[in-house]
Amino acid sequence: MAAISLSKLNKHYGSLFHAVKDVDLEIADKEFVALVGPSGCGKSTTLRMIAGLEDITSGDIRIGNRVVNDLPPRDRDIAMVFQNYALYQHMSVYDNLAFGLRNKKTSEAEIKAAIDRAAGMLGLHELLARKPKQLSGGQQQRVALGRCIVRNPEVFLFDEPLSNLDAKLRAQMRIEIKRLHAAIPTTSVFVTHDQVEAMTLGDRVVIMRDGRVQQVGTPLQVYGKPANKFVAGFIGAPAMNFVNVTVRSDGVATTVEADGLKLTVSGADARALAAYHGKPVIMGARPEHLALGEGAPGASFDAHVEVVEQLGSEILLETKVGSHGITVARVPAETVIARGDRVRVSAQPGRLHFFDPETELPITG
Amino acid sequence: MPIVSRPDFLPGLPKWSRKTLFALALFGICFAFAFPVLWLILTSLRPESGVYYVHRGTEFTLASFAEVLTDDRIVSAFLNSALISTLATIFSLLVTVSSGYMLSRFTGPASRIWFGTIYVFRCIPYISWVLPLYFVTQSWGLYDTYTGLLLPHVAVHICFFSWLMKGFFDGIDPSMEYAAMIDGCTRWGAFIRVAIPSALPAISALAVLCWLFTWNEFLFALILTGNRVPMITVVMAQFVTEMGLRWNLMAATAVMALVPAFLVALFGQKYVIRGLRI
Repeated sequence: MAAISLSKLNKHYGSLFHAVKDVDLEIADKEFVALVGPSGCGKSTTLRMIAGLEDITSGDIRIGNRVVNDLPPRDRDIAMVFQNYALYQHMSVYDNLAFGLRNKKTSEAEIKAAIDRAAGMLGLHELLARKPKQLSGGQQQRVALGRCIVRNPEVFLFDEPLSNLDAKLRAQMRIEIKRLHAAIPTTSVFVTHDQVEAMTLGDRVVIMRDGRVQQVGTPLQVYGKPANKFVAGFIGAPAMNFVNVTVRSDGVATTVEADGLKLTVSGADARALAAYHGKPVIMGARPEHLALGEGAPGASFDAHVEVVEQLGSEILLETKVGSHGITVARVPAETVIARGDRVRVSAQPGRLHFFDPETELPITG
Repeated sequence: MPIVSRPDFLPGLPKWSRKTLFALALFGICFAFAFPVLWLILTSLRPESGVYYVHRGTEFTLASFAEVLTDDRIVSAFLNSALISTLATIFSLLVTVSSGYMLSRFTGPASRIWFGTIYVFRCIPYISWVLPLYFVTQSWGLYDTYTGLLLPHVAVHICFFSWLMKGFFDGIDPSMEYAAMIDGCTRWGAFIRVAIPSALPAISALAVLCWLFTWNEFLFALILTGNRVPMITVVMAQFVTEMGLRWNLMAATAVMALVPAFLVALFGQKYVIRGLRI
């Protein structure tokens, strides 16, 4: 039983760099939380503070019922997986797995049983006698996972564990971690810069930027209702299109207009934009919510195809609308289309996002 | 080393002549280094009357070795040198390894001050240490003692080799130590149980370098020791007497001094190469 609670967590490096700013986060027992953000956003520092590898400047960290601020890492009952595996190079895989338990003065028989169990789950049995240098990257990371499991800690911490693996292996390990979490439900914090990893693994996703938490929510929440323009642009692949538009109203219909683009908005969006008549706003449209062809009245615009990316299962189009670049996804793979074509693109009604250009917060009714 | 024919070595020539030239160049370089040693060995095997006529005589003898080996002063110089080299290596490694580790892993003021200190001392020419050290050892009553020679050696090693050690540790990923700390080690425990074993090739390399450095050292030995603690490098130079130069004895001593250094270098070579590669 170990919930993690961060309150008003701050980290300063010297007087100049404020790496983590007032982070508040409640992680429930057995929950899998993914911390995601661009490099330098403070996610790894936050994780390292939870681990006790980094001093905290101010604030509190609780694991279970204990405030662990001043506890050394070894007393926090955590286990951590590192980006570069961090296996003890001079020890065999077996000794790597046994290291933590031996430090706890566990009997060799118990250690053997624990390693047997972990090796069975991760398929490490043939590797136990080898040295880390003789293993592939994927195998090394499995050993690193095993080293965490055998200790049976309260909390798992993952510091970009899949970044050093190639794309195929990364997808495999993602599933493996997910399976592991289902088999041994343990509170987990997973740091990554890859939003796909965050979305697929996390029960909840925490998006950070410049040391601050931008949004905490389930994958569906952060995708569907981003808390600001940054989150909207960060979550989702390909990234959301942003167009600076001006809101106009003729008393009956509300439209948003930009160079080469005029879309009618209705319902909740129109009500939300009522305060912005005549003013500029930022419109966000996800590539997957744009489609080829004429859509609902007032929801379509002409686009000029600049790049065609054939993915086999679908086509990604980079188009130019007036002076704006707009990506269109989910175009059927068989569509005959070439660079230079003019196409009609329609937006799915109700799937557009609008942001205040100054605060970058979503404009909602 | 196999004689390889590198494609960018004189590209205009046919392959066989390139190989020949390459072999000749290698041979020339080896000869330049090996010739003085060969000459030394040759001299040590000549009778005293023959040393000036090495190229003519055919008379060889082991008498010089016999004479040197029965000289108590030379034998004790050997033992002294071996002892001081070994002790200096052990003590300086104890400090150097932890100091290099600190320089590599910690960035606080203590680490910066230490870095500055050894930097300054490193910049001072070796020879300008000697005279102050002589006065210090005199006034502390350490002149011509093991301690009086050992301490300056260790100090020099610390200044010179902490940097090397820092470089080695910079090349070792610190997350291994973090993992150890999470796995139940203290900071010291992580250093001793994980960082040191990973740096072992580098540490062995450093040990070889330290040992050879002290064994070959002349200046400190000359100034800081007298009759009680003779060192082999100094004793070797003392065959220059008013009675004349005893080249054969000097050569015999030199050849004997070469042997341990040669052995250490030979067996340590593997570690030095591996260690310097980290």
